[in-house]
Amino acid sequence: MIYRIIHRTEYLYSEASGLCHNEARLRPRDCGRQRCLKSRLEVDPYPVDMSDRLDFFGNHVTYFTLQQPHAELTVTATSEIEVKPQEDLLLATDLPWERVIERLHHSDPEGYEALPFVLDSPIIVADGEMADYASDSFALGRPLLEAVQDLNARIYSDFTYDPGFTTIATPLSEVIAHRRGVCQDFAHFAIGCLRAQGLAARYVSGYLETVPPPGKEKMVGADASHAWFSVFLPGRGWVDFDPTNNQMPGERHITIGWGRDFVDVTPFKGVALGGGKQKLKVAVDVQHCDG
Amino acid sequence: MTTRSNRVGVQHYATRLGSYDEMQVGPEDALPHWQKLLAALVRLGPKGLERCHREAGRLLRENGVTYNTYDDPQGVLRPWQLDPVPLLVSRDEWQQIEAGLTQRAELLNLILADLYGEQKLLRQGLLPLELIYAHAGFQRAAVGARFPGERPLVLYAANLARGPEGRMWVVDDRTQAPSGAGYALENRTVMTRILPGLMREFQAHRLGGFFRSLRSGLAQIAPHNRDDPRVVVLTSGPLNETYFEHAYLASFLGYPLAQGDDLLVRDGRVWLKSLEGLQQIDVILRRLDDAYCDPLELRSDSLLGVPGLMEAARRGHVAIANPVGSSILENPALLPFLPGISRQLLGEELRLPSVATWWCGQPHERDFVLENLDKLVIKPIHRTPRRYAIFGSTLDKRGLELWRAHIRAKPHMYVGQEEVGFSTIPSLDEGEIVSRHAILRTFVVAGEQGYRAMPGGLARIAPRQDDLSVSEHEGGVSKDTWVLATPEEVRESRFAAAGQGGAARPLTGPLPSRAADNLFWVGRYAERAEGTARLIRTLLAKLGEELEFDAPTDTVVLNALLQGLTHMTCTYPGFVGKGGAGRLAKPQGEIMSLLLNPQKVGSLPDTLQAFGRSAFTVRDLWSSDAWHVVDDIQQEWRQARGYCQIESSGPCQDYLDQLLIRLVAFSGLTSESMAHDPGWLLLEIGRRLERGLTTISLLRATVVAAWHDAAAAQIIEAVLASTESLMTFRRRYRSSHTLEALIELLVLDEKHPRALAYQLRKLRNHINALPQSDAGARLSPSGKIILDAYTMVQLSDSEKLVVHVDEDGDYAALERLLSTVWERLFQLSEALTQTYFSHAQGPRQMAPTRREEEL
Repeated sequence: MIYRIIHRTEYLYSEASGLCHNEARLRPRDCGRQRCLKSRLEVDPYPVDMSDRLDFFGNHVTYFTLQQPHAELTVTATSEIEVKPQEDLLLATDLPWERVIERLHHSDPEGYEALPFVLDSPIIVADGEMADYASDSFALGRPLLEAVQDLNARIYSDFTYDPGFTTIATPLSEVIAHRRGVCQDFAHFAIGCLRAQGLAARYVSGYLETVPPPGKEKMVGADASHAWFSVFLPGRGWVDFDPTNNQMPGERHITIGWGRDFVDVTPFKGVALGGGKQKLKVAVDVQHCDG
Repeated sequence: MTTRSNRVGVQHYATRLGSYDEMQVGPEDALPHWQKLLAALVRLGPKGLERCHREAGRLLRENGVTYNTYDDPQGVLRPWQLDPVPLLVSRDEWQQIEAGLTQRAELLNLILADLYGEQKLLRQGLLPLELIYAHAGFQRAAVGARFPGERPLVLYAANLARGPEGRMWVVDDRTQAPSGAGYALENRTVMTRILPGLMREFQAHRLGGFFRSLRSGLAQIAPHNRDDPRVVVLTSGPLNETYFEHAYLASFLGYPLAQGDDLLVRDGRVWLKSLEGLQQIDVILRRLDDAYCDPLELRSDSLLGVPGLMEAARRGHVAIANPVGSSILENPALLPFLPGISRQLLGEELRLPSVATWWCGQPHERDFVLENLDKLVIKPIHRTPRRYAIFGSTLDKRGLELWRAHIRAKPHMYVGQEEVGFSTIPSLDEGEIVSRHAILRTFVVAGEQGYRAMPGGLARIAPRQDDLSVSEHEGGVSKDTWVLATPEEVRESRFAAAGQGGAARPLTGPLPSRAADNLFWVGRYAERAEGTARLIRTLLAKLGEELEFDAPTDTVVLNALLQGLTHMTCTYPGFVGKGGAGRLAKPQGEIMSLLLNPQKVGSLPDTLQAFGRSAFTVRDLWSSDAWHVVDDIQQEWRQARGYCQIESSGPCQDYLDQLLIRLVAFSGLTSESMAHDPGWLLLEIGRRLERGLTTISLLRATVVAAWHDAAAAQIIEAVLASTESLMTFRRRYRSSHTLEALIELLVLDEKHPRALAYQLRKLRNHINALPQSDAGARLSPSGKIILDAYTMVQLSDSEKLVVHVDEDGDYAALERLLSTVWERLFQLSEALTQTYFSHAQGPRQMAPTRREEEL
């Protein structure tokens, strides 16, 4: 499947800002079953200074600055991505989760790759409550993926999807206390549960293609960015799970990048000098462009 | 001593430290250099020692050497404390310590480069990954960024303590922005003043060479202009507990002191917003913690740093000392791994051992710590403000269990450390020499020829006899450290100093616009305080007279002056607004409140406090004499609250006399000891502008109204008295107390330093002398405003100003002139702010986007 994704972010300021510095993580990276065919970042007004690099996690970052007075900023990322379906995973044949933990601590390339994602991160601090929640899915000797799938399904049924409940600043503890949140919160919670068990889990930032209700046209700009998580299985690598939809991500999930949590892969951030009050609009379109 | 063999990833620790006294080698004998020192101290006698101690305290206070914040809400200033008994280190021993310190600096420098580069230490298993990745100091944004120069770790400090066999041990390492070198230098300066004979007798190594090395070390890492790099000292500001040192180092090294928003990044380069426009910066000597340096890539909730700084460093356009991310080396969990890494990277044994430390991230060590918790010091791997070290010996059973649970939950986040019996050293306590536990902070700098240690350091002693905890946070006492040298060595260091001091280029860099802003306000507050003090003094005298004679005219005059005070200080309602009549009938309360209440906005102490704050923010720009006066003024008003009372005006008058002398001294000192560069111009502009404003307020409140003759004469006299113009007036006009004469002298006379015209003429000259962005022939906005005001006053005639009285009973022309000039001066203040102090636009996080999704 080939997608064209248009991700548009628009800032309106009440006063002009004379200088702003920004980082965009909007260009999908190549990985496993996904290839980025094209990606372009347009910034209006035209940035004087713009450069690309890979961050610590290997994600594409574009840094740019606006050095002229501006009261509006529009950033449009347009990408074409080829995504292949997930191979069928035979659950219940993989390693028991306790064995996985042992393997993570081997000082070999796999340990070096996975161990950083066992540790606490800026948003996710594993605690007893997460360990407790997770333990129902992690019976001794249970194969890793089966246990994670069970955890994924429990989060899906125990938590209510509620976009009005949390904001970007809501701590994870609130999400857990009220069992409410959005995809980002569910992914964070799942990662916390896995890390509390001693497993390696990372946060994936991406898009999800939406399917309009039967008989209706798909609305432009109705898609959105999405988030899920990955767990590390030695010998196989990272395996994705989507607790918001109780799925293992397939062809409709498009990955931008990953990190320890949202902080590492914020799609767009910036610091402006001045600017007064701000208004923000985001629109995402995920279109098929096969053929 | 037990040391485990070297295996990869294995921790090493030597243990069983006891206590040792620096002076004693055996039970009876003192070391020869200590004997010599003791003999000298005995010669001084207890009284002599106490005198030295007091003298040291006085000098440190006068120099404004403080550790904590200057403007504590409780008004408690905690000056730096110095024990006049130095710590002595013999030449032979110092050579060993120095070799150990420089080796350790080399090693840490290599570890830093590896952790932010290839990470061989992690890949090869010499260091466990969690130990680095779980530490808050590991800055992922800095990984892969090339560090500048061979020794990016430019400054390094180690806390040393002596164990029982007399060997020095490293207690911990300071690498991100080590503090203390400036305090050590200040201690030495004071010691040279109070014990000059002793200093000569002992031939202690000098410290100046260390700071010369620091300058060249910073030049080494500069990406461009290595011959004369543009360096700034980056501070988090006057609220930082070591702000004194930031300012002191900046002024000692001759670098501008900048806060985050004095700098900005454009075109991937760092620029200083200075009075002369944007100046590119090559090197930043930072005193700001890692995580706060760049709100774009590091902590987004910090507004102390410089957005875009990481990118500028990544592109190699600016060098930061020490590099962002250096705090990873402060991780105490590194200590047990250093011996192994030293063998691997340097092929050498570690010369200075670390205090025995067990990192709980490995099962064997974790179990050891859990078992021996009551005998160990527990430390999290990164320091948090309130929880740094927990002494297991002070915990009860429940406390121990709690900490065991913490460690079991996240063992890799903790170390256990041996509770060390630091050595004791002779110290002065109430005239007696006693022994106190001590810790020595030493400093290492990367100079041109590799690392070199400061021959000396900052010794700190525990406040009480049995106290083992030595911390600057609890207001410990410091000591100078004398490394004994041979006469040849002292001569050599003198020669080196003379050889390097020859360059004739000026050391001062461009003036940051924030500093310019503060200088402007120092001028304004100093002048406002002076005007307020003078008027209160006149009023107190008048109030005394009134009590004696009780004449109706006196009351009229007094009321006019009281209302003038409210206008001048903007302390409405005061004697003017609601309740004004009541206050006029019994004015003492309001006057005392203006005189003594620091919480009242616009009062004299409030203004003096604001003056002190602004002056402290530009601490690096004052001569030591000027700073003494600032400090005296702060002491003065705090003490005045103790002895000034409503009932007797005598002490209040004395206080005001003293205060005025100091304020005038400050103004004189700045004129005579500061270079008349743009910074001084702004100080003067602030002063002249404020004097113009206060003079206008006073005149408008008093002489604009047409009084009958008897009252007019009294008012004129009072106005003259409170503007320090009475003598001049009498000499010039004898007994003719006419309003025209007053206007002639206080408004129109360009030669009289208290006259409005004089302020305007000075303002015009100073403003025209300020640097301008477009150095064309046209006047700047401020230039136009001041020219307009000045011309208006020049074109006025005193007779015409008082010829007509309007229906309100005011001299209309005079009021018109004064109010117009008043408005111009306000516009001028705004125009100056716009042009020169444009750091008002603070950085702000752009609203983050968040995940939304559809099913």
